[in-house]
Amino acid sequence: MSDVASTAPAALRAPESRFQFGWRGAALALLIVLLAYQVIIPFVMIIWTSLKVVRPGEADFLSFSFTLANYLRAFGSASFWRTSWNTLAFALASTLLAFVMGAFVAWVVGRTNTPLARLVGILLVGRIVIPGVLITISWILIASPNIGLVNQVVLDLTGLRNVVNIYSFWGMVWVQALEMVPLIYLLLAAAFQAMDPRLEEASTMTGAGNWRTLRRISLPLALPAVGAALLLLFVTTIETFEVPLLMGGRAGLRVYTTEIFYDTARTPIDWGLASTYSIALLGVAIALLFFYFRLIRHGERYQTITGKDFRPRRIDLGRWRYLTCALALFLVFLITGVPFLMMLYASLLPFYQAPSVAAFDSMSLANYWTLFHNSKTVGPMINSTILGPTVAFAVVLVVALISYFVQKTSIRGRHILDLLAFAPIAIPSVVLGATFFWFYLLVPLPLIGTLTIIGLAYLTKYMPVALRFVSASMMQIHSELDEAAQVAGVPWWRNFFKVILPLLKPGLLAAWFWVMVHAYRELTIALMLARSQNRTAAVVIYDLWEEGSFLLLSAFGVLMFMLLIALASLAWSISRRFGVEEQV
Amino acid sequence: MIRIEGLSKTFAAKTETVSAVAGIDFEVAAGEMVTLLGPSGCGKTTTLRCIAGLERADGGRIRIGDRTMVDVGAGVFVPAQRRNLGMVFQSYAIWPHMTVLENVAYALEGRRLSRSERHKLALEALTTVQLAALADRPAPRLSGGQQQRVAIARAMVGRPQALLFDEPLSNLDARLRAEMRNELRRIQRESGLTSVYVTHDQAEALAISDWIIVMRDGRIIERGRPIDIYRYPRHVFTAQFLGTTNLIAGIVEERDAQSGRVAVTTALGRVIGIDPSLALRDGVKVRVSIRPEDLSSQVPADSAGTPLNVFEARLTFAVFAGVAVEAELRCGEVDIQCLLPREADLTPGRAVTLRARADACLVLPEE
Repeated sequence: MSDVASTAPAALRAPESRFQFGWRGAALALLIVLLAYQVIIPFVMIIWTSLKVVRPGEADFLSFSFTLANYLRAFGSASFWRTSWNTLAFALASTLLAFVMGAFVAWVVGRTNTPLARLVGILLVGRIVIPGVLITISWILIASPNIGLVNQVVLDLTGLRNVVNIYSFWGMVWVQALEMVPLIYLLLAAAFQAMDPRLEEASTMTGAGNWRTLRRISLPLALPAVGAALLLLFVTTIETFEVPLLMGGRAGLRVYTTEIFYDTARTPIDWGLASTYSIALLGVAIALLFFYFRLIRHGERYQTITGKDFRPRRIDLGRWRYLTCALALFLVFLITGVPFLMMLYASLLPFYQAPSVAAFDSMSLANYWTLFHNSKTVGPMINSTILGPTVAFAVVLVVALISYFVQKTSIRGRHILDLLAFAPIAIPSVVLGATFFWFYLLVPLPLIGTLTIIGLAYLTKYMPVALRFVSASMMQIHSELDEAAQVAGVPWWRNFFKVILPLLKPGLLAAWFWVMVHAYRELTIALMLARSQNRTAAVVIYDLWEEGSFLLLSAFGVLMFMLLIALASLAWSISRRFGVEEQV
Repeated sequence: MIRIEGLSKTFAAKTETVSAVAGIDFEVAAGEMVTLLGPSGCGKTTTLRCIAGLERADGGRIRIGDRTMVDVGAGVFVPAQRRNLGMVFQSYAIWPHMTVLENVAYALEGRRLSRSERHKLALEALTTVQLAALADRPAPRLSGGQQQRVAIARAMVGRPQALLFDEPLSNLDARLRAEMRNELRRIQRESGLTSVYVTHDQAEALAISDWIIVMRDGRIIERGRPIDIYRYPRHVFTAQFLGTTNLIAGIVEERDAQSGRVAVTTALGRVIGIDPSLALRDGVKVRVSIRPEDLSSQVPADSAGTPLNVFEARLTFAVFAGVAVEAELRCGEVDIQCLLPREADLTPGRAVTLRARADACLVLPEE
């Protein structure tokens, strides 16, 4: 090979310009600086603050005198241990319940001949556009004492008062679990699809029955994926905020995330205690993620060379398939249908009441008119509409550059990028919001109270997941495509925008949608960084909830939902005009 | 012994139903290796999976040994796990969570054997495929060729009634494929297991089989011993699919029923050939198939009793291919490929006189 190159006429050889490498090196350096700023600062902030008794902004805060006083105070108090217990119990119960439901649906959709399976899958994944805070509120409207629909109907029919109470440990577990079913479904459906059906057929051919094949082949093979899904779910629940915030107060159940929020929300702010809770939360998350990545790596070793024609082996359930269909549809109704219908129903009412002829007669669009004439609700809606797509663009660009450098170049230090971009997965949103707030209190940049600070926090938060989408896509682009452009003497940045990005479109699009939807509806960080001018739509929902305006809130939720759908369809139709078509 | 009668299978595609196997019959005698050969989508793999019991046939009967496995009319269907067959998959389907030995021993778990007996038999099977040294290695840490050997050991360890191979060599590189092909043939001969082998690779089929069955569009085109089907194919499709051939269009001029010789008028003039089907009539459109190795620039030594066809051609292009020179020549308006000796003069434009024995010129009906 090298002989051929050296005998070619000098004029035909690709110019070995230092300039070209220089640009690439500069881009890499810039990326490292950006990531260090976005990722390392939160970690340092949280540890630094936990070792200080003075507040950010006070003279002694930047000195190198540290104390363990906060830790002693936290670990010495009974409430810390009670909160720890609550957090773990709540996370464990919700994870297991969500897992049972999600695994059932993933199995029914992916591996059986149940009718309407595809519809079930689509409806379940479609739930992701409904903000988590609305799901929580809709269940409160359904099953809370006194105003809950279920309790009203039961009272009318039987005279029994308050048969269900959503403000309880199991109420919270129920809502949290329902909210996570789409996630576990996605994780497990992917795992089921990645499994080569030939592995099971090979077992059948040796004379093994369905039961032995399931026990000795299918389950052991699925175990790493199932374990990883369970761990990821557990971490997600420990870091969850909406359900504990809205229901935990009346249920008397405080968890790490709500402790941190209350410590920073009350005056005077208890920085020390908030940061020690953050450290505890971070510690648990890192420990769990450590096991998660070990399992993932273990699972990848299980992937063997596979043939192309891959039809999933579907189990014939016979008549039982109607039962599984009914059960799956019922679950989808609970998960997707209930929150949406609840919001729609409540948004049309003049006052909250159980469904009746009178209730339907009194329906009007009055709530929507109220919203349109209120600048306090229109502004935040615009904020979210700006924030979602912008953050998504920024994240996708940064992540595409990162995965390009990591996978397609051999520049030294490129793996630092990977590590930095992935580290924020361990930082819970509450902690991230708090550190950004504290940091910009310290530095003389006028960002507090702007959309930019929320955007910067989102950049850190959404990088890890977006990176996974884009990396998977980047892996499918053969290095030779990039090398061909290099050999032809095309500057790398032109190559990046003209060759790599268009080929990366499927992954970029998936990442963009995911980030856009999540940034649009995100509550935790937005709430912690909210001032009067930078409120987002999700924060308004929380405010309306605090005011007790359930009906306005429902109308707002429906509007938010429709805007998101419109935004997504618009982006979809624009994106179809660029880059390569997705192979079907 | 395997007997297939009237086997058919359709798949429901998006708008229509696709007939993957359209009523085929064949038999595999005990201890023989039969290859189903054809392009992708010809129904060969579906046929194999019906024999295995991994697909349910829509019609027909399958008998293996003295048991009826499938009789669609009578509602008989023996599930795959009760057919006592061994199967080697294209993707090997080695269980990644087990060691090499465990992979093979698992195939014996249904038998009333102790653990140590299972391991002993598994080790014997691994010895046959020359992999005993790697018995305790985790299965994913094997090369493609080694995984293939594990798959073979696993398929035969239980002394199945028959072995089924689904394109087992297509994921290996060329050199390893040739090696494993011979190895497979050796193992099959030594074990005496009745085998059905599916492939789209004609060289593999020619080398490995007792009988070849050529399939297209869910039907059997023809069948025969490898050498017969290569030398005397009865269809243009078979002649083209098995190796390289020159196909020259023409019309039957006269026939000699006794010798089976046929005279054909072609663009190259009158060509004498043979009609393996003995079914052609005068005036019928045909193709004369002449393999490159049957066209010679010298007078064939054994040409005594048989007529020779002579073509005057000009050399257009030649590549050295090791064993011989692959040459392209222009003969009138027709391009012809042939093999020339290595020492031949390869100047483009040089005149070459090509001769082909009438026995090597097959007259096949136009398709």
